Amino acid sequence: MSYLDLSIREIHEALLNKKVSILDLTKEAISRAKKDTNNAFECILEKEALEKATKLNDTIIPKDNYFYGIPYVAKDNFSTKDIETTGGSNILVGYMPLFDATVIKYLNEAGAILIGKTTLDELAMGGTGTSGHKGKTFNPYDPSHTHMIGGSSCGSAAAVADGIVPFALGSDTGDSVRKPASNSALVGMKPTWGLISRYGLFPFAPSLDHVAYFTRNVEDSALLLNLLSKHDDNDETNSFKTRDDYFKELNSNVKGKKIAVIKEIRESITDKEMNKKFNESLEFLKNEGAIVEEVSMNKDLLTSIFPTYFVISCAEATSNNANLDGIKFGPNYGGKTYQEVMYNVRTKGFSGLIKRRFVIGSYSLMSENQHDLFLRAQKARHLIVDAFNEVFKKYDCIYLLAAPNVAPKFDEASDRLNNEYLIADNYLAFGNFGGYPSMTIPLGFKNGLPYGANITSKPYDEKSVFNLALNLEKFTHLADVSFLNYKDKEEK
Amino acid sequence: MKAVNKAVLKDAANRLLFDMSDEQYDMLLDEFHIIQSQLDLIGKIKGVDEATPMTFPFDCTVTFLREDNPSTPLKKEDVLKNAKNVQDGQIKLPKVV
Repeated sequence: MSYLDLSIREIHEALLNKKVSILDLTKEAISRAKKDTNNAFECILEKEALEKATKLNDTIIPKDNYFYGIPYVAKDNFSTKDIETTGGSNILVGYMPLFDATVIKYLNEAGAILIGKTTLDELAMGGTGTSGHKGKTFNPYDPSHTHMIGGSSCGSAAAVADGIVPFALGSDTGDSVRKPASNSALVGMKPTWGLISRYGLFPFAPSLDHVAYFTRNVEDSALLLNLLSKHDDNDETNSFKTRDDYFKELNSNVKGKKIAVIKEIRESITDKEMNKKFNESLEFLKNEGAIVEEVSMNKDLLTSIFPTYFVISCAEATSNNANLDGIKFGPNYGGKTYQEVMYNVRTKGFSGLIKRRFVIGSYSLMSENQHDLFLRAQKARHLIVDAFNEVFKKYDCIYLLAAPNVAPKFDEASDRLNNEYLIADNYLAFGNFGGYPSMTIPLGFKNGLPYGANITSKPYDEKSVFNLALNLEKFTHLADVSFLNYKDKEEK
Repeated sequence: MKAVNKAVLKDAANRLLFDMSDEQYDMLLDEFHIIQSQLDLIGKIKGVDEATPMTFPFDCTVTFLREDNPSTPLKKEDVLKNAKNVQDGQIKLPKVV
């Protein structure tokens, strides 16, 4: 057991009480990162991290700054000044940003120590953790490397699940933090759209993109949101609302809280063992005083979440990545005109998967198709959000299993037209459509592999999400779980 | 809607200034019947064509003007230090016109 395995608050207390030093903590994190066998890292920032840790080591730890001296990692689609930032794509190899993303800046200012940049699906466009330029990222819970961890924030999830760092930054456009969190027993939080600045995050589909993050318990998640959610004028979509003190307001009392379980989503998940555990959690919540009710929604809307997401995200991605031109960014393979330069670099720089997604985006934006595809998807999004907003008028939270099963195998093919795929495997994107705060928490283990549950609430009601999640930690006993200690926790 | 075939997909790729291998076009063409069936589901939503398109989750109107405070921009050395090709104190880009 190392201090690195404790919660952020406990590590902070250990630092305050001089039980461990910042330098030793950083060295331990780097040592663990170097032993990584899951391909979690684009780069390990040993020199930079040790320099900062040495600088902070003999300073006085500020009592109210929980992140002072805490090691962390960030997905490689956050700009980091003078540190190569590739977005997991060959087209950005060698790109050294001139500035830090706002969230990186906040963490730097707080004294947190960035020990590495993590792998991702190329430009965050993917959900399998397989399409980044460094190859597949593996799930720490499966040493045989048969089951994926999922993506796109695969490396960040793997680093926290493997006990390398207590928290990690990721991004979530469809479910890119919340799905890998389910596959690796983590708390994956995507707050309300606009609550955390996206300045310096590589855009994928800005109407859906969120900064999100992984922790190993709910309390740490609230602490991190306090730090990251400050207003930032550099992001014009950043909210002007006064932020709550999410940590101070943590309260596991759910008495009288109204919780909706969407009937059609619940029915699309058929795994008996997972359903049993989920039903037990519902009983637990009822015993805690929550009002749990099954709510029916229009199935046509639910089966349309995935195709709606697919069209909108692919279409937005085509324009957002138009700047990757081989002139301002990326390697140069020559060409007589700017079109030729772009053509050469984009043909060589993008992988096959991302090009196929771009083609779908381009196809849906063709003038002959725009009405039937892109505009219709935007209209469907409106109806889907309206339907969920109706649920939130009566209920504090929607609570469901986060996925239909444990992490799938790399070579597992699924029927992409059945309800399990269309609803259960992809419904989390409704959280991005409506910009809702949405959190995945670990719920249990099946054959040694974790699975999670998801809690979503109305915009800016992070408090309801945190409080329900905190209550459920009493049921799951999985706070602070990682690959290093899960067997002990599982037995409880 | 435009019928999908290899030429249409190639046109869609070329509009974004890249190309794919024949194998990738074939793979995408194979995938398209599933994608098309998924997209057809959107059309089944009652009243979808009468709805207004949603471009952002909710309104986020920016109503402030930044104060006109002078600030120090990036130093020239900072701008140049990560550039791949520097000549006479300026970043040299590939000749494209």
